[in-house]
Amino acid sequence: MKRRHFIQTAGAAALGAPLISAPMIRSASAQTATVRWWYHFDNPQNTPNELIAQFEKDNPGIKIQAESIPWGGGGDYYTRLFAAIVAKNAPDCAMVKLSSQAQLLEMDALEPLDGHIQNWAGKADISYNIWNVNKAQNGKQYYLPLQYVVLYLYYRADWLQAAGLQPPKTYEEFLAAAKAMTKGDVSGFGMRGGGGGHDNWAPFVVGNGATFAKGGMVSEQALAGNRFYVSLARDHKVTPASAASDGFRQIVDGFKAERTGMIIHHIGSANELVTALGDKVSAVPVPRPANGKGWTMFGDESNALLSGSKNKDAAFKWISFLSSGANNVAFNKLTGQLPVTTSGATSWTLHPKRFVDASAASLPLAGVLPDSPKTADFARTVWPTSMQRALLGQIAPDEMMKTIEAHYNG
Amino acid sequence: MTAASDTAPAPRLVLTPYLFLLPAMLVTLAVVLWPVAETVWMSLHNFILFKPRNVPFIGLGNFWRLLHDEVFWLSLGHSLVWISLVVGLQFLLGLVTALLLNQTFWWRSLARSLVIIPWALPSVIIGLTWTWMYDFNVGVLNDVLIRFGLIDKPVAWLAQPDSAFFSIVVALIWQGFPFFAVTILAGLQTISAELYEAADMDGATRFQRLRFITLPAIADVIATALLLRTIWVANSLDVILVMTGGGPGYSTYTLPLYAFLKAYSGMEFGYGSALAIMLTLLLLLVVFIYVRRAARELDQ
Repeated sequence: MKRRHFIQTAGAAALGAPLISAPMIRSASAQTATVRWWYHFDNPQNTPNELIAQFEKDNPGIKIQAESIPWGGGGDYYTRLFAAIVAKNAPDCAMVKLSSQAQLLEMDALEPLDGHIQNWAGKADISYNIWNVNKAQNGKQYYLPLQYVVLYLYYRADWLQAAGLQPPKTYEEFLAAAKAMTKGDVSGFGMRGGGGGHDNWAPFVVGNGATFAKGGMVSEQALAGNRFYVSLARDHKVTPASAASDGFRQIVDGFKAERTGMIIHHIGSANELVTALGDKVSAVPVPRPANGKGWTMFGDESNALLSGSKNKDAAFKWISFLSSGANNVAFNKLTGQLPVTTSGATSWTLHPKRFVDASAASLPLAGVLPDSPKTADFARTVWPTSMQRALLGQIAPDEMMKTIEAHYNG
Repeated sequence: MTAASDTAPAPRLVLTPYLFLLPAMLVTLAVVLWPVAETVWMSLHNFILFKPRNVPFIGLGNFWRLLHDEVFWLSLGHSLVWISLVVGLQFLLGLVTALLLNQTFWWRSLARSLVIIPWALPSVIIGLTWTWMYDFNVGVLNDVLIRFGLIDKPVAWLAQPDSAFFSIVVALIWQGFPFFAVTILAGLQTISAELYEAADMDGATRFQRLRFITLPAIADVIATALLLRTIWVANSLDVILVMTGGGPGYSTYTLPLYAFLKAYSGMEFGYGSALAIMLTLLLLLVVFIYVRRAARELDQ
């Protein structure tokens, strides 16, 4: 065969192959619905493969294509999700948080689940409170709860005991405890001024009476709460010098290295901290104002069905499988968070009891950031930038609050 | 058959070069020109990613906003200092390294291999490595400096505006100097040894050899490397993004980082595109000089 003929034949074969094979692929896919599901785990070495194998065994007509998407503090994940929706290449279902629900609704990207949930046997195993907190502003249910955490205060029990102090309940007790533990190169409070630190800040500001409604960030209580929080670093010097840039990894590692006496995080860090510090670490709900009200962050995670999905029934079967009894427990063992099912909570053994108790005791204080398209940018950019500037003295604490007020209500 | 018909080129042959170029042109159209056109289109609209149904045309509104944006001017200022420091110091370190690697010593091959490592590492790895080296609580830098008695308590390198900026500059110099070292070394090896022998016979000092033989001989290489590196550094944001995300406050914001954050954090693709176009326009001058140099070299 001459070279020219060979190239022509090869080219024709290459062009023709998809035409020949397409009907064969279509014929095979008609029998099996493939559900694309996006997920993210803090520990990328954990995989949901066992759960998928179990589901596919129970549902022979459905194949799960699980795609692990980098979280990147939330920014990477949601940018990819939004871009995929705009490009009409979104997955059938995806893990999502309440802070992005308003944006996803703005894009018409979410499928209401009320009809599916009414006919789902697992509905009663998830408490009313969890259903309620996940409801959209229009009263519909777009999210199927999957896991949750509540932010609470980790503290060094041995250091507090040595100082003759009880775990702090109020802001004043918190400051006293932080001062007592601040010695040499140890700081009383591992403040998180970097990305994600808004959930450490909110117990002192939203907890003191700030709201995200018009004028709510510049009320006297809001300004006082923020002044107190900034003063921990600038005036009382009970935080590490690196507080302005510290993120999750830095505050956890600083606590493990015995360089800080208290940090605010959720049960997801409990086992790591216990491995490093054993019984020296314990937890209580975040400090509250004198009126006892307070506020802490409810860290939610749900699955949502994307409206562009062509396999909605199959996708709901998969996400409801993950939120059911033993499957939900198995899933949360992979993520290190808490199961949303009542049956799962009673049999939960992954974390030491004192941290499960601290989570439960924090639930009455727990809330979520506003269901607004502006919340995601608040958490990713507006809060860290203005907080860091306030911590560095580049702007006054009240100026920071005006920036947040302008972001939400300007 | 006439003589004219023997010498006239066939039409097929005239098309051939274009056909050969076509695949590259199509790829360039798809991955460069089309995205550029999209960016220009987005920059003229108030395009917010999560509002795909409401994308109003606002003309030059994003550019007008940009001119009145304090953070834009701050980022532009940082970018200029950033490029000058990073490219300048990378060049100086690369030049010294190349001169050393051009000497004869027994482990020269090993040294030439080792010096390329920072250049070969992914930027994200470099960002993470330096972040942990600078860490306030567990960083090796503070530990070493305290052990040598140079500081008496840990320094929060990435939490203070000035130290954060210069800490990233140091990391970038470390990452980029091998490019200059290798490029300049290649240039040094083209210089004839006879020139140095003649200079020795004339009694030239080491500095005079460098000043009057080495530097003029590699001037073209240096100019090309400087131009290329200026373009790359001006566009780069990965190491800053990993190390500080632009913080604390706005202290490590540069123009490409600001455009990236506006687009991918704020989801403001319209305004982010306007920022990116502004950066492109500023860089076009450097690109123009580079292309002219490249074209001149091809003509020689």
